Amino acid sequence: MKKLNDLEYLKLNKLQALWYKLQLFIFAIPGWFKRLGLKIWNLIKSFGLGVKDETLDIAHTFTKGNWAVKLSFLIFGFGNLYYGQILRGIFFLLFEVIFIVYMILPSGGGYWLGKCNWFQKGATIGTVQGKFEYDYVYDTDVWVAGDDSVKVLLYGLLTVIFIVAFIWTWRLQVKQCRICMDITAKGKKVKSGKDDLKSLLDDQFHKTLLALPLVGILAFTVLPIIFMVLIAFTSYDAAHDGYSNLFSWVGLEHFNELFNFGQGGLGLAFGEILSWTLMWSFFATFSNYFLGMFVAIMINKKGIKIKKFWRTILVMTIAIPQFVSLLYVSKLFTTSGLIGSALNKIPAIYNYLDVNNFVSLWDSPVVSKILLIVINIWVGIPYIMLMATGILMNIPQDLYESSKIDGASSVQQFTKITLPYMLFVTGPYLLTSFVGNLNNFNVIYLLSGGNPIKGTAGGASIGYTDLLITWLFKMTLGSTESKYYMASLIGILVFIVVAVLSLIVYNVIPSTKNEEDYK
Amino acid sequence: MKKENSMKKSLLGAKASRRLSNGIIYFILVVMTVVWLFPFVGILLESFKTETKMQTGYLFPKEFGFDHYVRLFTETDFLIWFKNTAIMGIATALLQTIFVLAMSYTLSRLRFKGRKALMNFMLILGMFPGFLTMILIYKVFSDAGLTMNMAPLGLIIVYCASSGMGYYVSKGFFDTIPKSLDEAARVDGATRWQVFYKVIMPLSKPIIIYTILMGFMAPWGDFMMASYIVHENSAGMSVAVGMYEWLSRTNMNTHYTMFCAAGVIVAIPVTTVFLLLQKYYVEGVTGGAVKG
Amino acid sequence: MATVKLTNVKKIYGKDTVAVQEFNLDIADKEFIVFVGPSGCGKSTTLRMIAGLEEISEGTVEIDGVVVNDLQPRDRDIAMVFQNYALYPHLTVFENMAFPLRLKKTPQEEVYEKVTKAAEILGITEYLTRKPRALSGGQRQRVAIGRAMVRDSKVFLMDEPLSNLDAKLRNQMRAEIILLREQIDTTFIYVTHDQTEAMTLGDRIVIMKDGFIQQVGTPTEVFDMPENLFVAEFIGAPKMNTIKTQLVSEDGKYYVTPYGAKIEVDGKKADMLREKGAEAGEIILGVRPEHIVLADKDDPAAIPCKIVVNEMMGSELHLHVVVESGDRLIVRIPTVSLEDEERHNLVHGHTIYVTFEGKVMHFFNPESEKNILL
Repeated sequence: MKKLNDLEYLKLNKLQALWYKLQLFIFAIPGWFKRLGLKIWNLIKSFGLGVKDETLDIAHTFTKGNWAVKLSFLIFGFGNLYYGQILRGIFFLLFEVIFIVYMILPSGGGYWLGKCNWFQKGATIGTVQGKFEYDYVYDTDVWVAGDDSVKVLLYGLLTVIFIVAFIWTWRLQVKQCRICMDITAKGKKVKSGKDDLKSLLDDQFHKTLLALPLVGILAFTVLPIIFMVLIAFTSYDAAHDGYSNLFSWVGLEHFNELFNFGQGGLGLAFGEILSWTLMWSFFATFSNYFLGMFVAIMINKKGIKIKKFWRTILVMTIAIPQFVSLLYVSKLFTTSGLIGSALNKIPAIYNYLDVNNFVSLWDSPVVSKILLIVINIWVGIPYIMLMATGILMNIPQDLYESSKIDGASSVQQFTKITLPYMLFVTGPYLLTSFVGNLNNFNVIYLLSGGNPIKGTAGGASIGYTDLLITWLFKMTLGSTESKYYMASLIGILVFIVVAVLSLIVYNVIPSTKNEEDYK
Repeated sequence: MKKENSMKKSLLGAKASRRLSNGIIYFILVVMTVVWLFPFVGILLESFKTETKMQTGYLFPKEFGFDHYVRLFTETDFLIWFKNTAIMGIATALLQTIFVLAMSYTLSRLRFKGRKALMNFMLILGMFPGFLTMILIYKVFSDAGLTMNMAPLGLIIVYCASSGMGYYVSKGFFDTIPKSLDEAARVDGATRWQVFYKVIMPLSKPIIIYTILMGFMAPWGDFMMASYIVHENSAGMSVAVGMYEWLSRTNMNTHYTMFCAAGVIVAIPVTTVFLLLQKYYVEGVTGGAVKG
Repeated sequence: MATVKLTNVKKIYGKDTVAVQEFNLDIADKEFIVFVGPSGCGKSTTLRMIAGLEEISEGTVEIDGVVVNDLQPRDRDIAMVFQNYALYPHLTVFENMAFPLRLKKTPQEEVYEKVTKAAEILGITEYLTRKPRALSGGQRQRVAIGRAMVRDSKVFLMDEPLSNLDAKLRNQMRAEIILLREQIDTTFIYVTHDQTEAMTLGDRIVIMKDGFIQQVGTPTEVFDMPENLFVAEFIGAPKMNTIKTQLVSEDGKYYVTPYGAKIEVDGKKADMLREKGAEAGEIILGVRPEHIVLADKDDPAAIPCKIVVNEMMGSELHLHVVVESGDRLIVRIPTVSLEDEERHNLVHGHTIYVTFEGKVMHFFNPESEKNILL
């Protein structure tokens, strides 16, 4: 492909320019992956180099350090204590003691780690299977609890995290001891515990502020997600709930099941749900976006009175809890509902339902899909309207004046100024909104519940309007058919879909690249 | 001359067409108002019906009655659910605000090693469907006794713990406060903590209120997490989970109008709070979108 | 390539806020007209009425003899450059400049030709594929001018185009606009609040205040013969000194008596006074700072005063002096004429003696503030 210089490019007419850009885009794709690969490679490389540097540094510290520093290789915080940093020293030492005690305790870290049988295909997680045994006292079979796989895996995971933290802390305190030594050698005073506490409100203030939120995120998002990623490689389901039946490592078996398009595989169901999910997200996002913008422009138009009133009416729908309004609206469209019964009187609709043996509009896959998108417009327009109003007011008025002089009609002003400007500014928002709709549980579950039912897949009955997220939800509802491993697998796939989408969008939309452009 | 005439004509046409287009807009707006208000008026009217099931064909009650309102408080657990949700709303509003503000303030106004990395990490983390975490959390919570009757407590933790990840809107707000304010305060001898609570926080009223509002609304609207944690235990339900059951196929005929009555009672406090603080909400939404 | 005629133009906002009134002006083909005045004087409003962005409350605007009052801006065949440039942030420089042509569905070859030609004249060819954000203020201004240029319109309107630029850039762009004018060769209407811009750019200057035209004239006319005190003070920097004093007539000669000194009016101004048969009495005397000169202590025309501020501008010295009565005057002395020794005396705290050049004084009626020579 021939690269054009600026002036050559500008000579092209619209079609040619579009074709040229398309070519550029396609030819750029390998570039992204190359860059992504390079980035990952650089990350690995810098990690490797980091480890190397650290190792050298530690070795250096050991050879150059005095006896106190050397001893702190074994006893955490010894150097700190030696140089007068009592608070840090005690903190480190305490950490080491707790770690060692935890690891060697009979039901401590070592114990859990051993039970995990990490990634050995076929091996159970947990080693003791609970079972019914005859009990002489009660003269009946009673349940003798064994291991609980979920617990075993969780504690195993926690222990691994603890070990990583231990190594990191070890490195940290060695480094600090060395720094103390250096500072003392220069004749200065080391920071006291009081200084440390003070700095938490000043130059280390970020640590204070981030501590709570980060702990929350680590415990309630990072840890569960790592755990659930692991679950995708196990046989955790209702039959193997880990308590009454241990579950085991199965390797990549479930991936085969999910991508098996033949009998017994979930491939077909997955494909269908994924394509509806994407379709839904597309329609839901863009119908809302354009209509919402349209409404905002209408309300903002010069000469339209009581603007605030119109806006408030729309905003009210945001205020009322969705489950109230959505559940009510969904019932409106049933046969006995107000709108449903009114629509039923239209012969075409009546006949359509009758021919297909549908009781209500919600029973027809096509109609319910349309209804969902339409009702979602009802839900979504107010948000977009608010947002668009804000942006519209930010568009400098002289752009319109200038274009007016240059001969633009009001339609041209919309297509050539307002719309591009909006798209330009809201590019990132569109992505978030698209992703939000991919996972729009409330609207689907409260309106159609995923129905009409199509069949079962992954241990849950699925319908024509199920999204990946509602499917995932149904899979985990704790029925006897629940397939947790499949849910986790789908979660991972949702992640991949979103990540790929984001990668594309961030490479294409200008405003994500250059956020300064419109500030 | 001819040209001039035609131009004048087009202008007169323009004035008329402006009036016409305004007329069309008013018409559309009025239709929209009806469509958007219909469900709310519908719920309100149906809640006064004396029948229990869904009736076809008419909206206005044939006979006005407060039966359902009375039954709500005497025969059902609605009051418990309402209380649960209200407690959750208030607790979430407070805790979530602390989490979100701490996170967004730090990312916006403090510079430290690993800031970019942390933001990227949270971005990637956010791409996982959040519900996935519930499987493990439920298991742990049920062992710890934070499900069933104690579900509200568990849910508060669920709503708040990871809320730091939703820092985008308020970070956008903090980004707009000039950096020179911090610098001036620091030169005047303030520590970063003092900058935070003496300079920036007083300026951040809109975003604080926005965050509180969002936190308060979350439990009222959430169905997914709540239904998962509560697991069909009435004493721990939120209104969303409790009322959802009333519209199931089996309960529809006996509880439909009661659902409407309950809906009205739920909607009143939430809508009032929301409309009162509408200004801040609008600021948050518009600011957040533009910042991305 | 058009004449513009404004007749009795009036602009009323709301019910009774009058922004512009009694505006009468004939603009010749290819003339460069500058509207100048303090903020709020109605100059921008007038321009926007010509552009069609504001409705004209009363009176008519004609372009090439056609009344355009009721025409949409797009039908008036005008081009306009805005103060904030009004560049579309989502379009490249090329597309920004091509915008008016695109609206007319001009073929691509023609668009390319016109835009690149304008870009070349303005020296922005290398930025054509950039977005406005990536340009400096001066470059953005060029793009805005370029966009107006490609239209080949009858009238070229500019609304304070340089006021967002820093001083140095402003001077540079001002010079470029003078050069540009030769290339574009059309009728210009230019709005500014800066009298230097007005003086250097305009063929004729329209000075406005509170919605009224104060004076219309060439730069020389308004400088040499201001119609009233406002114009006299507005044009020229530093500002003209105004002194309440007496005009005295003795033996067919006119004198002014500021601060006890007696200065003869001579040259052309004396002739004009005689022609007018001006009566002696109270007047407001206007003396530009450059027309105050150093004088001998013993000269009857000398006024003693004390220097309070001395500003060394390089080629000239600006002295703020206080006379006995407490009035302040500004004196502008070219440094070239000063000996080193003299210069040492012209500093803060020293007393000096000055007098006024008799042939370039201005006389205003103390009541009407009108120039008594007109």
